[in-house]
This record gives sequence, structure tokens and C-alpha cells, in this order.
Amino acid sequence: MPTMKAPAEGTLRGIATFLATFGIGVATYIAIADSSGGSPVCIAGGHGCQTVAESSYSHLAGVNIAIFGIGGYVVLLVCALLRGDAFRMTAFVVSLIGFGYSLYLTYLELFTIDAICQWCVASAVLMTLLFVTNAVRMLAYVGSEP
Amino acid sequence: MSGRRDREARRDERLQEEQQAGTAERRQRMVKLASAGAFLALAVIAVLIVISSGNSGGDSSNIVEAKEVDQLLAGIPQKGMVLGDPSAKVTVLEFGDLQCPVCKGYSEEVLPQVIENRVGGGEAKLDFRNYTIIGPQSKPAGAAAIAAGEQGRGWNFVELFYRNQGTEDSGYADDEFLTAIARAAGVSNLAKWNRARKSKDVVAQVEATSAEAEELGFSGTPSFALKGPRAEGVEAIGTPESVDALESAIENAGG
Repeated sequence: MPTMKAPAEGTLRGIATFLATFGIGVATYIAIADSSGGSPVCIAGGHGCQTVAESSYSHLAGVNIAIFGIGGYVVLLVCALLRGDAFRMTAFVVSLIGFGYSLYLTYLELFTIDAICQWCVASAVLMTLLFVTNAVRMLAYVGSEP
Repeated sequence: MSGRRDREARRDERLQEEQQAGTAERRQRMVKLASAGAFLALAVIAVLIVISSGNSGGDSSNIVEAKEVDQLLAGIPQKGMVLGDPSAKVTVLEFGDLQCPVCKGYSEEVLPQVIENRVGGGEAKLDFRNYTIIGPQSKPAGAAAIAAGEQGRGWNFVELFYRNQGTEDSGYADDEFLTAIARAAGVSNLAKWNRARKSKDVVAQVEATSAEAEELGFSGTPSFALKGPRAEGVEAIGTPESVDALESAIENAGG
């Protein structure tokens, strides 16, 4: 049975670095828009971003979830920049949490809040790609030399 | 010579095998650890979801804070959706959606002091106007508030609704919930209230004020506008972020 060869770890780390940096930008924009009393502006227009930002789900224990997002992306960026099993595994676990929670938030947007925020979707896509990248990195390279 | 070379080759082979076995063992250990990490991640996600969806409120069998709302509004005249002395110089128009959590926050953190300082003192009156943007139950909820206003309990209804608000647009604001709020708000003739909230006239009022909010350039709730001797017509002021900001806007609009 033919097996697919995983990309070089350096390539995976490069992709993760790019995605995490982009994610920090998106989450920071959402957090700043919230802290200045407004809401993110949907590029394509509409009230989706405002409706989502004003929903009770935009905060967790009183803290905007974009702040948790920034934290997650920063950890993923650090893990992408550093070598070794500890960082491979931390990146895998953190991106799995981010991916799972993004899935839940997207479900809420579609079926409960009934509005889509492009910035949240952008973050969910980035988190999904980060999870795939970090899962491949972990499965292919964990246990090998850094 | 050949025997020595063979021995060295065998030693190298053995070392290589040992190294490979070590790597495989280490890898197996790490994969096990990663699996445990994955379980941990799933547990964290589950906890986050429970915290996120654990909003209280929206329970028609447990309407709370009716007494606090009564105390807040005690002695202040109400007519329709207007709270305060009808001859007050300044009118503060609040465009809100009863399902909006930001409006709930504003109603609990900013408005009580403004009601006590400015409305109770006769300087300003508050006019609640529906701007229904959250979901399908926002309109009937707004109509129910106006119907309560016809019996002089409009502000009790609005304030009590906010204090018992459920998870946003989750379907909690049904007939049962609205009736429970109306009852706790002191609407005395529930049959009349029930007819009124479904009347074309009341529903049209909700639509008209929503259109008015958009004409004023608002896109979110709560948004405020002022009428007063020093205001230019209906002056949109957005969402003042503090008690001081709203009170100084009232002062500026006053004579």
C-alpha cells in the first residue's frame, strides 16, 4: 500500500508560523474592536459581525473570547518557532482545543445566533489549518530527533 | 584482519538496531502522551462549552428581581413607553432590543443611576423604543412591552425582561415567558394585554421605531437620541459609555 510522505518538519513549522501570525492579527482586531465599545466591521457589509459581537457567546467568564484567541495563537507561534517534542505536542493539543471550540462557535453562529461574522470565520479557518498542520507534525515527527 | 572488520561491522549494526529500537520506543511513548493530550483537549473544549452555554435566565417559572425593579421605578410617572415627568425638558430616546445582552448590561449598570438622578428629579424623561435586530422573538417581545405600557407598566416590563433575559435568541422569549414577565411586572389585565400585544397597531409601532432607528443612522443596540431645548431636533448620540457621559449629554440638551 503506498504511503504518503509527510512534508519536511521545517515546511510544516513555516506554515504554522505564517498561520499563527495571521491569527494573532485577526484576533487582535476583534479584541480591539470590542474593547473600544464597538464591534468588528464586516468587510462585505451587513450586521453579522455586530450581531455576533453583541451575543452573549462573544464573552467567556466576562472576557472576550478574542483575548483567549490571541493567547492561543501566541502559544502556537512559539511552538512553531521552536524545535522538539514538547513543542510538537503542545502545538497539537492547543490547536485541537482551538479547532474544537471554533467548530462549536461556528455552529452557534449558524444555528443559534443566526448571523455570520467574517472575522470569526477567518479565525476558525486559520485554527482548522493550524490543527491539520500541527497534527501532521506531531504524527510524523514526534519521538524523532528535533 | 577480516575477523576484526566483521566484529566492527556487527558492533555498528547492533548499535544501529539499539538506536532504532530506542527511537521507536520513545516515539511510542510520545504518541501515548499525545493521545492523553488529545483527551485533555477534548475535556477543555467540553468545559468551555458548558461555561459558555451556562447562562442563567429565560426561565418563565422563576422570574426574579421584580421587587428591585418596583423600587427603581417607584413614584416615577409612566405613560406608554415614557418614564418620567411628561413636562421634563429633555427626552432621552433609548432604542433597544429586549433580547440584546448589551442592552441588559446597560439597563443594569448605567440606567439605574440616570433614572435616579435625572428622571426621578424631573429633568429628563426616558422613552423606550424598540429596535429589533436580534431575532424573530424580538418583535413580539417589543410588542408585549408596548402592550404593558398601555397599562402603565411598560418600563417595569422592559426592566424585568432584561433582568430575566435568557441566552440570546435561543427561543426562550415565548408566550409563556412574556406572560410571566407581564404578570411579574404588574400588568393587571392580562387578557387585555394579550390582545393588545398581538394587535396590528402595536406591531406596527415596533416596526416604525425600528425604521426610525435606522433613519437616525443606528446599527446596534442600545442606541440613544435626545430631544431638548438645546438639541437640534432629534440628536443621535450613539451609546454613551458611562453614567457621566449620558448625564452630560442630558445637561447639554437641557435648557
